[in-house]
Amino acid sequence: MAAAVDVERLQRELEAIFGPRRVSLRDVDLETYARDMWPRALLGYREGHKAPTRPHAIVWPEQVDEVVAVVNLARAQRIPIVPYGGGSGVCGGAVPLLGGITIDTKRMQQLRAVHAAELICDVEAGLSGERFERELLRRGYTFGHFPSSIYCSTVGGWLATRAAGQLSTKYGKVEDRCAGLTVVTGRGEVIETDGPSRALRGPNWTQLLLGSEGTLGVITSARLRLSPAPQLRVFRGFEVDDIAAGVAAIRRVLQKGLRPAVVRLYDELDTLMSSFSHHDAEAETEHVIAPPPPPVETGALPAWPGPPPEAPDGVVARLIDFAKGKRLRHAVTHAALGKSQLVNRLVGTVAERIARRGCRLIIGLEGARIRTEVEAALTFHELEAAGARDKGEDPGWAWLKHRYAVSYRMSPVFRDGAFVDTMEVAASWEQLADLYHSVRTAIGRHAVVMAHFSHAYPDGCSIYFTFAGTAGDAAAAERLYDAIWRDGLEATTRVGGTISHHHGVGLLKAPFMAAEHREAMTIFEAAKAALDPDGICNPGKMGLGARGRR
Amino acid sequence: MTLERELVDCVGAAHVEAIDPRTGSVIGALAGPVTGTSAGPSTGPVTGTSAGPSTGPIAGPVTGASTGPSSSSLNWRVTPGSASEVAEVIRRARGYKAAVHPVGAGGRPTRVAGDRARVHVSTRRLDQVLQLDETSLLVHAQAGLTGLDLERVLGPRNLSIGDYPPAVLTSSIGGILAVRTPGKSSVRHGFFEDAVVGVSAVLADGRTVHTRVAPRRSTGPDLSRALCGSEGTIGFITSAVLRIHVRPEARLVAAYLLPSIDAAVSAVYLALHEEAAPSGLRIFDAHEARAHFEGLELPTSSALLCACTAGPTDLATCDRDLITSAVRAEGGATTDQALAELWWRRLHAGEPTPGPSPSLQVMATPSKVRAVYHAVIAELANLGGSARAHISRFNADGAVMFATLERGGAPAGGEALAAAERAAQAAGGWLLGTRAEQLDTYLRALRDVLDPDGIMNPGVLA
Repeated sequence: MAAAVDVERLQRELEAIFGPRRVSLRDVDLETYARDMWPRALLGYREGHKAPTRPHAIVWPEQVDEVVAVVNLARAQRIPIVPYGGGSGVCGGAVPLLGGITIDTKRMQQLRAVHAAELICDVEAGLSGERFERELLRRGYTFGHFPSSIYCSTVGGWLATRAAGQLSTKYGKVEDRCAGLTVVTGRGEVIETDGPSRALRGPNWTQLLLGSEGTLGVITSARLRLSPAPQLRVFRGFEVDDIAAGVAAIRRVLQKGLRPAVVRLYDELDTLMSSFSHHDAEAETEHVIAPPPPPVETGALPAWPGPPPEAPDGVVARLIDFAKGKRLRHAVTHAALGKSQLVNRLVGTVAERIARRGCRLIIGLEGARIRTEVEAALTFHELEAAGARDKGEDPGWAWLKHRYAVSYRMSPVFRDGAFVDTMEVAASWEQLADLYHSVRTAIGRHAVVMAHFSHAYPDGCSIYFTFAGTAGDAAAAERLYDAIWRDGLEATTRVGGTISHHHGVGLLKAPFMAAEHREAMTIFEAAKAALDPDGICNPGKMGLGARGRR
Repeated sequence: MTLERELVDCVGAAHVEAIDPRTGSVIGALAGPVTGTSAGPSTGPVTGTSAGPSTGPIAGPVTGASTGPSSSSLNWRVTPGSASEVAEVIRRARGYKAAVHPVGAGGRPTRVAGDRARVHVSTRRLDQVLQLDETSLLVHAQAGLTGLDLERVLGPRNLSIGDYPPAVLTSSIGGILAVRTPGKSSVRHGFFEDAVVGVSAVLADGRTVHTRVAPRRSTGPDLSRALCGSEGTIGFITSAVLRIHVRPEARLVAAYLLPSIDAAVSAVYLALHEEAAPSGLRIFDAHEARAHFEGLELPTSSALLCACTAGPTDLATCDRDLITSAVRAEGGATTDQALAELWWRRLHAGEPTPGPSPSLQVMATPSKVRAVYHAVIAELANLGGSARAHISRFNADGAVMFATLERGGAPAGGEALAAAERAAQAAGGWLLGTRAEQLDTYLRALRDVLDPDGIMNPGVLA
């Protein structure tokens, strides 16, 4: 497709639709829109490599008609279109694999209406998450979606990937909150999928389009369900003996019919990291609203409650620096992360020490005043009945205060020559212990790994693995990175988990889609043929047809 | 080899029955009566709905009788005993371009036009619980099980499929998932499809898809939602993994009298906005309340609200109190609890509900419920008749009004019903069974890809 693009003609025709100011073929823009926040793409970028593929042009539509026009243009010229929201995706979903036109939705950013009686709003796809929530809050509502990327992701991006916010246990993921979509399909037609789901016959098109990551069309606006802004928030920290005890306690709460907004259980290393992270962060200025300032270099380690853990080679100290958002010195980072097996073994040792204190569990409830109060009392009672020890409100509030900070801690690690990424998998409760041990072992062969359990549901839970590794050069780092993902996701599928809970598929997980869905991919492929007969919509992604490069 | 012979090969002669194309009735099994199956037409729900005539090609001629009483028919009912038998039947049917029509447990074939070979595939023998995961609260149930069958398995383990309306209990799982109806929505658990974690289905090419089980996922579209609601046109549902619940510790019912329907609707939304999560709510207008509860006296413009709350005792109590407060705020008060108890028993313990079934069901979003109600009542009054109604099935989308129309002392149909439907639509209501016609192109394209021969429940959703 890409080879035959007549760039001058493309520019002329795009400018006829958008005027000269909302079309760009400038080198700096093409390079910028060549990637999203997929860590693998950043490995080469860090060493100054140019992006392997770039869009031919970027456009900024303001109306759905303009999206229709650009899709029709792309169909006529047989060149790809790639929707682009905040560019915060971590799976390469917005990478223009075959070039084409990247459609940045950020100028479609109106919160068009809030229907109070229906508890539904009509919002355009390009609105940033943070502005969306602010606008709603001003009117007394919340969408209840708080991903750590909220400052740099868009509503459309959430819907395209089936994103989850930190309070998903109460509010659900975006797919649970979507009443209807407006989509420009690959046929260049505008469709609306609204309508009361039980009154309309036929398949549920909303649920077929959610999560399609631009492979079926471009989401331009959506009708989303709202909740009244919470009147009450209750957050607490608990401590459990170990992961198994924590998982059992969470399951007990949820299967009792209680719906906390957030439940997070940290494994031993993650408990260690998060405890330092919160301690240190408390000393900093509050940044509940604004992104955290660049991490400060000064400040002593907070006092470790109890005897300090053994730390040969200063490995744990380095990890703690990471947790605190410190800029790591290159050599030291390599010393720590280059010995991942040692570190992971060490975690066993440290874990024993920590295990005397147990694993940290954060739980929070919010909502209507009376019901939340009753539900909170019942929830805490259930946790204690399951053997969790109440550590008071402080750990809970500390988490809430710094919940967006972690995403901003990745840059220093990359600057220092290492890489860090997260793998969010999920399974039913029955498979959850298997999932944790299998994936942790699989990643642990290559990198330092820690995990927390978040996004809990009555039937299961997601596990969020964070791993950090390092290698000699970009090529070696890419090989290591690929091996981690291959082994981690294969382990996930083997024990019956899903390879993604909320980050999506993009390029990263495309090779694993066949194992994830097996024969059911037939239905996805049929939907692709029905909605995008010319194959122009974000080609090469999600394991559809033309495979990704890897 | 004829299709009939091939069907017998797949499932055994005892499970292939010829259907009289003129009457639609089952002539009999090719191997004589089968023990344990009901002979006459049953009253259960039928999966798939009838629509316009089919235009499919005619299957190859069926030559000569094979074994049974009749095989000059081009219509059979087959009753496979496993998902792989379903797959085999569909594969064989495809070879003859014969139509495959799913039939729910005990259901009767509905489409028997003689122009095309038709295989009516009954899920009656797909009646097993394949797996019960008490840790994750998931049950993997075959499509022919009814909600009631499942409850019989779950009940002794202190588990339940949850507080859904009676349609979920009496229908087969396959049928209730394949067809969208308002009868499967619960104010506490949402739409029944929300309980579906995975679906197994046979596609037109005979391949079986199993959508993977996970609490939530971010790996593309929800493929099970292509199968649910598609009325057997995308795939034949053979089993589903469903979320289930621990039986609630407490269950409380209450009845309230309110000055008007509008006040009752307002009270319900006031309580729901305070996050009350009752397991059942129903508003009766005065006329309807009198019809449902013998001897009940209440002012003509008033409304009766029945509510059920369930869960941990404190939470069930909290929810009930939230509803009580909302009712008071709207000028109402509690009334005889026995009314609510009777209402709940009728819904969930099989006690008969008096009177004809409502002839008009209209779905409305929260802001339109009142207007839709008043429009239908006024329209019937204009026509010299009367209407009574109850409003229930509250969930995030809105609620459903069930109206019974009368004129001249008899149930009103025909023109009066059509006028009432128009009035309801004009007031912003949605008639059940509406299709988003704008999306038909895409459904047709999807079907063309998956089922180029058009064998999967042809004529439906077309």
